[in-house]
Amino acid sequence: MTDGTESAVELEGLTKDFATGLRGVRLRAVDHLSLRIGGGEVFGLLGPNGSGKSTTIKVILGLLAPTAGACRVFGVPSDRVESRVAVGYLPEAPNFYRFLSGRELVAFYGRICGLSGAKLVARVAEVIAWVGLTEAAERRVGTYSKGMLQRIGLAQALVHDPRLVILDEPTAGVDPIGTAAITTLIRGLKAQGKTVLITSHLLAQIEEVCDRVAILDRGRLLVSGTVAELTMPKGGGPDRMSGAEREELNQWLAARGKSPTALSAQSTRLDQIFIEQVARNRPNEREESA
Amino acid sequence: MPFSLGRTGLIAAVTLREALRQKLVGLLVLMAAGLVVGVRGLQDFNFGAPELKFIADFGDGAIAGFGAVLAIVLTAQLFFSEIENRTALTLLAKPVWRTEFLLGKFIGVAVVLVTFCGTLTATLAVVLGQREAGLRLEQPEAFAMGGAVNYSALVVAAWLHALKLMLLAAGTLLVASFAQTQIYAVMMGFAGFVICHLQGFAHGAYERSGASVMLMPVKLIHWIFPDFQRFAGEAAGDVSALGLGLLTIYAAGYTAVALGLAVYVFRRREV
Repeated sequence: MTDGTESAVELEGLTKDFATGLRGVRLRAVDHLSLRIGGGEVFGLLGPNGSGKSTTIKVILGLLAPTAGACRVFGVPSDRVESRVAVGYLPEAPNFYRFLSGRELVAFYGRICGLSGAKLVARVAEVIAWVGLTEAAERRVGTYSKGMLQRIGLAQALVHDPRLVILDEPTAGVDPIGTAAITTLIRGLKAQGKTVLITSHLLAQIEEVCDRVAILDRGRLLVSGTVAELTMPKGGGPDRMSGAEREELNQWLAARGKSPTALSAQSTRLDQIFIEQVARNRPNEREESA
Repeated sequence: MPFSLGRTGLIAAVTLREALRQKLVGLLVLMAAGLVVGVRGLQDFNFGAPELKFIADFGDGAIAGFGAVLAIVLTAQLFFSEIENRTALTLLAKPVWRTEFLLGKFIGVAVVLVTFCGTLTATLAVVLGQREAGLRLEQPEAFAMGGAVNYSALVVAAWLHALKLMLLAAGTLLVASFAQTQIYAVMMGFAGFVICHLQGFAHGAYERSGASVMLMPVKLIHWIFPDFQRFAGEAAGDVSALGLGLLTIYAAGYTAVALGLAVYVFRRREV
């Protein structure tokens, strides 16, 4: 998926330390993280709380400066304002100017991104309709539910038609119906060819929409790959058999009144991979809990 | 990507809208206006000054006092509401310079402060005009030798107040750019306000006494902090056009330095 396409995000040995207040003591939030997110892919960044996902996103957005390493967005270093021209961002549990209406809010961010005149009006109407808030567009944002806030947040992130959309826990605190609506919107972004970087604790959602995922823990990259690669059962299975062998096996099963699906290996779910990888990275905690 | 006045203006406009919705602004404007309008009922506090001068001084004090509270608290509140509500996160994730963000915040507050000074000065002028007309009928002889209200001095005083309050807002923004809490920024803002008011007296006193040990630190403070006594409204009638221009440059210079330092600090702040 990533080969041959331009990189939307490139992280090279990215390290971010925070001072903890004690003299000389620093907390490493991101530890030599190297990743490449190709153009047009939906990339899931997974990890338990405090694993460095949000810090990584903030570095990509230029909100934090890396302690070491490099971060480029469409080839532009992320500490430059230009790197954010083609980026839309929906923060976790977004909060907006409560006194503006939904339409005013999206128009404000559109103007900030350089839109104006008829183009702005049309684009604002388009993204508000796309997230399904046309009827509530004149209401003040302060009256919106969590699901509506997420959707208006998505509208402000998309108003300038960015090539990269970063969604930080887009379904946190949203009910299942709202979650399903947001998942549909993410699929829509994928269909539009946008690069999407998404963090979520809902691993089923990630599994459903992401092309590739990376699992972080304590700032380190534990594993990355396509969802299919990560969830494929280890040690082969029916895919490694030749056609003749498979036919022979099917006949053997049929002779015993079984269908071929009786042998289909249950593919490992992403949440299992997640728990295994994180547990492997924390051997001391595993021993303590045992 | 160059600095954009357009983006700065947009941030200033949204800051202004947010400021006008703050209960604090309405409360302070109402209290200050109430004092200016009701000053005739406070003649018990007049210890012998001519009535018009008492009204003018009292109104001037109300504008200065409530204006200072407004400048410090509103600036800190608007800055920290962006940080604490995380609206700054969404805004700074757009192609926006942090300089534009801070200047937008400052301009939004400055518009409120200039409007505050202008509105209250106009109210004061109306109160003074009405009382002056009444006194001219009651005691025409008192005006034979002058004593009329100097309305142009009121306008000058309003401008001096606005300059001082904008300078105070810039100083508060400088503290807010590195402060972790709003209350710290407010307390430091008030501390700065007191220092700026008193440092001129201290500098003059030590210079007259010739106490060389303390003169150096006092001189240092005199250079670092602007002298707010220069903006005293009661001296507005004596300020020449040149003097007013120099005071404007003096205030603009300190404001620019405070904002420049605020931008420098804020660019390194982790949002």
